[in-house]
Amino acid sequence: MEEKEIQYNGSVFKRLFSYLRPYVREMIVSLLLVLAITGFELLRPILIGNAIDVYIEGYNTPYGVVEKSDLYFEGNYLSKDLSESKTFTQLVMVKDSYYYFEDLTQEESERLYAQSQKGIDVNYVTNDMLVLDDLIGRKMNQEQLSVLRKNDFMGILKIGILYLIVLVLNMIATFVQTMILQKTGQKIIFTIREELFHHVHSLPLRYFDTHPVGRIVTRITNDVESLHEMYANILIRLFRNSIKILGLAVVMLSMDVKLALYSFIMLPIIGVLTYVFKTLSRKIHRKIRTKISALNTFLSENISGMRLIQIFANEDMKYHEFMDKSLDLYRANIQQLTVFAIFRPMIYFLSQVALAIVLYTGGKGVLDTTITIGILYVFINYIANFFEPIQDLAEQFSTLQNAFASAEKIFTVLDEKNTILEKANPTILDEIKGKIEFRNVWFAYENDDYVLKDVSFVIHPGEKVAFVGATGAGKSSILNLIGRYYDIQKGQILIDDVDIQDLSISQLRAAIGQMQQDVFIFTGDIENNITLSNEMIDEETVKTCAHMVNADHFIEQLPNQYHETVSERGSSLSAGQRQLLSFARTLAFDPKILVMDEATANIDTETEHLIQDALETLMKGRTTIMVAHRLSTIQHADNIIVMHKGRIREMGTHQELLQKEGIYKKLYELQLYA
Amino acid sequence: MSKKGVLFPYIYKYKIPYLLGLLTLLIVDYVNLFIPQITGEITDGLAGNTLDLKGVFLLIISLLGCALIITVGRVLWRFFIFGTSRKIERELRNDMFSKLEELSSTFFNTHKTGDLMTHFTNDLEALRNAIGPAVISSFDAVVMTGLVLYKMMVHVDLKLTLLTLIPMSLIAIGGYYFGETFEKKFAEKQEAFANMSDYVQESVTGERVIKAFVQEKIQEQNFRKVNLHNMKKNLEVVKLMATFMPLLDFIIGLSYAITIIYGGYLAITAQITLGRFVAFSQYLGMLVWPMIALGDSITSFSQGRAAIGRIRHIFHEIPDIQDDENTEDIQELKGNISFCHLSFSYGDEYGDVLHDIHLDIQQGETLAILGRCGDGKTTLVNLLLRLYDVTQGEILIDGVNIKKIPLHILRTNIAYVPQDSMLFSDTLAHNIAFGKENATLEEVQEACREACVHENILDFPEGYETVVGERGVTLSGGQKQRCAIARALLKDAPILILDDSLSAVDTDTEDRILENLKAKRHNKTTLIIAHRISTVRNADHILVLDEGKICEYGTFDELMEIQGVFRSMYEKQQLEKQLSEE
Repeated sequence: MEEKEIQYNGSVFKRLFSYLRPYVREMIVSLLLVLAITGFELLRPILIGNAIDVYIEGYNTPYGVVEKSDLYFEGNYLSKDLSESKTFTQLVMVKDSYYYFEDLTQEESERLYAQSQKGIDVNYVTNDMLVLDDLIGRKMNQEQLSVLRKNDFMGILKIGILYLIVLVLNMIATFVQTMILQKTGQKIIFTIREELFHHVHSLPLRYFDTHPVGRIVTRITNDVESLHEMYANILIRLFRNSIKILGLAVVMLSMDVKLALYSFIMLPIIGVLTYVFKTLSRKIHRKIRTKISALNTFLSENISGMRLIQIFANEDMKYHEFMDKSLDLYRANIQQLTVFAIFRPMIYFLSQVALAIVLYTGGKGVLDTTITIGILYVFINYIANFFEPIQDLAEQFSTLQNAFASAEKIFTVLDEKNTILEKANPTILDEIKGKIEFRNVWFAYENDDYVLKDVSFVIHPGEKVAFVGATGAGKSSILNLIGRYYDIQKGQILIDDVDIQDLSISQLRAAIGQMQQDVFIFTGDIENNITLSNEMIDEETVKTCAHMVNADHFIEQLPNQYHETVSERGSSLSAGQRQLLSFARTLAFDPKILVMDEATANIDTETEHLIQDALETLMKGRTTIMVAHRLSTIQHADNIIVMHKGRIREMGTHQELLQKEGIYKKLYELQLYA
Repeated sequence: MSKKGVLFPYIYKYKIPYLLGLLTLLIVDYVNLFIPQITGEITDGLAGNTLDLKGVFLLIISLLGCALIITVGRVLWRFFIFGTSRKIERELRNDMFSKLEELSSTFFNTHKTGDLMTHFTNDLEALRNAIGPAVISSFDAVVMTGLVLYKMMVHVDLKLTLLTLIPMSLIAIGGYYFGETFEKKFAEKQEAFANMSDYVQESVTGERVIKAFVQEKIQEQNFRKVNLHNMKKNLEVVKLMATFMPLLDFIIGLSYAITIIYGGYLAITAQITLGRFVAFSQYLGMLVWPMIALGDSITSFSQGRAAIGRIRHIFHEIPDIQDDENTEDIQELKGNISFCHLSFSYGDEYGDVLHDIHLDIQQGETLAILGRCGDGKTTLVNLLLRLYDVTQGEILIDGVNIKKIPLHILRTNIAYVPQDSMLFSDTLAHNIAFGKENATLEEVQEACREACVHENILDFPEGYETVVGERGVTLSGGQKQRCAIARALLKDAPILILDDSLSAVDTDTEDRILENLKAKRHNKTTLIIAHRISTVRNADHILVLDEGKICEYGTFDELMEIQGVFRSMYEKQQLEKQLSEE
């Protein structure tokens, strides 16, 4: 469904191209190599064609009898250089056999040549003799021929060696070219990934509230991957195929214009057919994707809801629904099959028609002696090669379209603006003492839907403040604002009397220890989860911290202790253990301010005890600001702030508030029953 | 059963199209051989001047005739074999789903939905590849190679064939070893990619912690490592490919070089004709593809085999709850339920979830069940629905152990509103009529009125035809719950279970729904699991569970008397009510 038609956006193309800029040299080398490779490819049939024309078919030119040469046959020195000769000899082929004519005058030799060009009937052969009026030729056996045609063979050998050289060069060039391009592609992908990852992490939390994790991950992984295909393969193959088609056309035209033009007759038909096929198969492909996704949605929903289906004894109905969906997919698959089953063989047939045309016109040309057999051979070869790159081109264009679609999505993420910006020269405090002040703060996550309304309070360094109130009263938002995860709409938040918008974000956040209700466990071991892979924190510190927050008990009972592997999904840690682990983590980073969202999860009494005790340790000497649920935690706070519907309703110590007979009193009584 | 066991019946069923397909393929391959031969005859005739234009024309006609046969044949075998493989794929898919429907909750608890879905996607795909394209390529490769070699040896020259075959055989041998290395490297590459994905996934999920601890730099450094590793693994695969492809090309070229030199010598010395020389080079080209295809199809077969292995375990799974020889012929239920000293645990290592529950519910009575999370309320109704079997004790309906009641009868006689009030991605009308086949729209609307959701549904743009779920309208929690209630009410079963199904409904609406229930469910049994006192107030009896045991049981007034758990819950909720009205 997400797949929409991508309009060719010039800026996307330009931007994609800009990643190639550092690799201009590599690209040029690649292009040159591609040219060479294409040249080699074109050369190969030509070499064989040459071997045929000049050497295999080379028998029909006469030999001159000379004084001395490297070709000695039956008492005569022979040469293909006829300028000094008076007598000639000649080979004539009739029905796969060669006949040797000796002692020919120039006139006889020419007559023989003309005759053999027209074709000689096999009836003229008697007893291994070819009798043409007054001239008689002897049939040559294999040994005689190999002497007579020594030079032809040397020529073939030369071509064979040349062919081998071309092969080796081609192999090297292809290897080097592929490696250069793939490396370049990989490097570009690497860079884009890094850029994306960096960018995503610089975005404010608000972005993550509105964008599902899965989608962000897809951008960084799969979408970037489809760009790789473009950089490493498609661009160069587009170039290569275009060159190949062009090269083939040029060579064919230069060899024989008429035959070349006849070979091209099928091209428009193939072009139109390919276009129709591509459009059709794209449409069907999309249909299949839709059907697959419908089937998968159905499956995932019904497998998770299998219990319900069984409870309602509705297995039959659901089975029929599934069969319908399954049939839909099957039909779409068969449609695709049909299109392919007709298209592929049809292209084959057309290529054979093209071959037939070449054979016919070429054959006619050979008979008219306007072209040679060798040229015909080259054409037969080329015509088979001609159709491939055209099909490829169509393929590559659709891949390119996909890459563009991905690129657009990637650039949308990269263009996402970070709304929480640091000032150009942020204030860097020597030391954060931990004074927190809210001055008439108004805050809304969205538009005018204020969750905090005109909130003001001051917390002095080292104080413990508890926020209480019903769900949605705005307590958690206050915690989010101190670390500047969101910017407020009105008012001011100050730390040590400096507006947090003027502070360095990293210094601010490093000074605040955030503890969430649900502790996030990173894949790795216990130690990694305490240090967050920060090498500045040594093992000794890890152990001390764990000990101070009572986490060492359970850690030391794990089979691998501090090196026990843990992960978010496969974690065997209980809620309480996770809490303790997060305390150790916070302590290891030694923040001045503690911000805490107390867990409401069910924790057994023993662990509860450990947690309470650990909290005491943590809060010592730190400004603590917490959303508390446990009465025991609240009671010991220096100040209790009661929130109700975004406003501060009551403020004071436990005793003061109890006397007020307000919301706090009621909440307190509720807790008693819990 | 062997690995073939699952697949064999399907293939056997389609043996005729398979055989026809292979036969067509054989014909195509055979006719294919004439093409180079005819081309060769033409070049020969032209070179030897034994052919005039008419002869050329006739040969070309026969060439086109061959091409036509091949074309039609290629269309046909695609339908015969690819079409059949699609048919088998569909049948397997349907049968697998049907099989899943038989399996019990225990199975689904131990098998993740995602994993089960892979059987329907990746595994079926691999299987289809093995019984479709791989059959074609392997058969084609073998037949083609055989025929081409025969033609080359007999029609052209034995020695030349053998000579050119030396490099060609390197492709098959090299291809096999390359295939193994490639698969290994490719798996490593996939793993590196998966690693990277996992890292990104985790990093984005943990965004809050990363920001809080100012760990962005370290995250980036670590990402650099996985990213680099991914690139390295990619390049290893690339290097392999970059070596293999040109090498392949070189080996093929080597055969051509041999053809030029040795074939050329043979042609010069009249041992073969020029035409045969030309045909030979065309035959050579025909050998390249089968050599590569052979390696590919071996891979496909082994992947298909592995896929069958995985699918098989579903087909061979025996459902642990199903009708058996002890099942009695019972057609309807009245609704007298007894739990007799019932205990249940999900397994020896977990301990009892329910312990010694002993309780009678009379037909027409309403029982409310309260308790904290994890106190066994849902488990109790799951047992009644026979999603699991009781570990100890028994459940009786109308005096019969539910294990003896046909599963289908048991479940059609119980209407159930699940805790998550799950609805399917379908129209509201279909969703509500889920429990009753052929329900009329009037009946659906009536049920919705009783569940107080009729008005809401009419407010949707498409009314009862509104599609819910991902692709349609998102319902609020309360709306979902009421739809789920309507669905259960439409079933009008002797027993109704509401599993915490009114929690998101406001108290006024709740009152109205409970009122409607009372009117409609005269003489029918109702079980209500709830947290709110308001929900259970009018029940005939209230059961309070604590850690799987009966804690308190009685009427509302009785329970208020004893000053226990129920009483304190009641008072707490009164206070909360006051607070929210503040």
